Amino acid sequence: MKALLNKARVLLITWFSYMSAYRAEIIIWILTGSVPLIMLAVWIGKAEAAGGSMSGFTAPDFAAYFLSAWLSLQFTIAWVAWELDYQIRQGELSPKLLRPLDVFWDHIAAHLAERIVRLPIIVAVMTCGLLLVPGTRLTPSPLHAVVFLLSITLAWFIRFQLSYIIGTITFWMDRATALDEFYHIIAIFLTGTFAPLDFYPAIVRNTLDWTPFPYIIYYPVRILNGALDWPTTIWVLGVQALWVAGFWVARTWLWQRGLRRYGAVGA
Amino acid sequence: MRRYIRLLGVFLRTTISLQMEYRANFVIYLVSALLQACGALFGLFILSGDGEPIGGWSYREASVVVGIFTIMQGFIGAVLIPNLNKMSEMVRNGTMDFTLLKPIDAQFLVSTRNVEPFGMIDCIIGLIIIVVASSGLPEMRPLTIVLGCVLLGAAMLIVYAIWFMLTTTAFWFVKVANITQLFEGFFHAGQFPISAFPSWVRVLFTFILPIAFITTAPAEALIGRFSINTIVAALVLALLLLVAARWLWNFAVSSYTSASS
Repeated sequence: MKALLNKARVLLITWFSYMSAYRAEIIIWILTGSVPLIMLAVWIGKAEAAGGSMSGFTAPDFAAYFLSAWLSLQFTIAWVAWELDYQIRQGELSPKLLRPLDVFWDHIAAHLAERIVRLPIIVAVMTCGLLLVPGTRLTPSPLHAVVFLLSITLAWFIRFQLSYIIGTITFWMDRATALDEFYHIIAIFLTGTFAPLDFYPAIVRNTLDWTPFPYIIYYPVRILNGALDWPTTIWVLGVQALWVAGFWVARTWLWQRGLRRYGAVGA
Repeated sequence: MRRYIRLLGVFLRTTISLQMEYRANFVIYLVSALLQACGALFGLFILSGDGEPIGGWSYREASVVVGIFTIMQGFIGAVLIPNLNKMSEMVRNGTMDFTLLKPIDAQFLVSTRNVEPFGMIDCIIGLIIIVVASSGLPEMRPLTIVLGCVLLGAAMLIVYAIWFMLTTTAFWFVKVANITQLFEGFFHAGQFPISAFPSWVRVLFTFILPIAFITTAPAEALIGRFSINTIVAALVLALLLLVAARWLWNFAVSSYTSASS
């Protein structure tokens, strides 16, 4: 147990120092994820034109939704597909495989550290956003916020493992990262970043509920906003846990198969 | 002048034959472009779900904006990203010196050396969207099409100038490979007609980041909703930004102390 904590500590500290050196780039990265903020403006414009509210969402409701969506987007970002792609193709994976630690945890630590470096900016943007639309209530109670943290952690694991699986495909295919690009494009519409899924036709919503997408952004956001009752919240958390477990199994299986193919490239 | 046109042809031929070596990239680009365009149109559909116009634009009219946006994405991907984003790398490696020493205008060389022909896919998809949408728009006449093309050209020059000025900062802040992502992130707002946004956002997108002139103005002209003020403003803005870009380039080159002593 002590050894495990020690490894975690070392990993986190190393990656934190690494990520802190990229502060400026990280700020730029954060600003590129502005789609929810742009959509915030568009939907508020729509609500104002429709006379104050649209399908039960008033301007402050939209503000709460999209600010939460932006927050969730910041917490669930994963780029590990690109890291793995680089490491596998350049042979940099070899020294990492010699460590007494699964490479998976190295990447988790990197992402966690980057998240910590992002925190000040996230807080700043959220504060500005909340001040912009008067009457915005992000969350009805601290309990909702705590449950949201649990939900968003599960959501991050779903997204992270999905990206990890895509990266693992690099063992077989050269341009597997293209799949991650496709994910980014379709995720804007399928995860609830473009619009609350409430606005989607019923048949689309029902189909989407069978995919992991709504569980990455939409459901955590609704939990935070207090739009779901407790039985539904517990059900959402359960489904998220199932997806995490499912991806965990798929990931480890693919990784084992991939490693067998991996003849250290030039290392 | 003829020399530059001939060089343009040479650059196009060489980079196209290089890029065509990678067939997989072509398929990937095509799928991405289609997904983006379908996504944008689906998004508009959701936005106009209750039948209400989007900021005063009907679904057909708003899809013209999406078409223009897609064409601009193609322009950015085909011309701007392969060339200007290399500037920070060139300054870091010292290869900028070789570019500056060539006997032709360095700004021309830096801007046109590489072309990503797959960007044309976005342009074609954008054109298809506009053509399909235009079948239900009676206001589209030859005059509006010409005006639309003129404003589209102005829009391309505006984006080029902004992009160029952002990447020229590489001369001072060498690690700015991602700086254009700042623009790209907010450029996504260009998918929507500018009137869809609340008034203070419209001010932001007209005076601070001129996205209104880049996508909404050409679309307005195309569907026949143009005003002389907007057209003149767009052209003047393009000219001003080009002059500013040129000035910044000359300033950067003159203060550049080169890779070796």
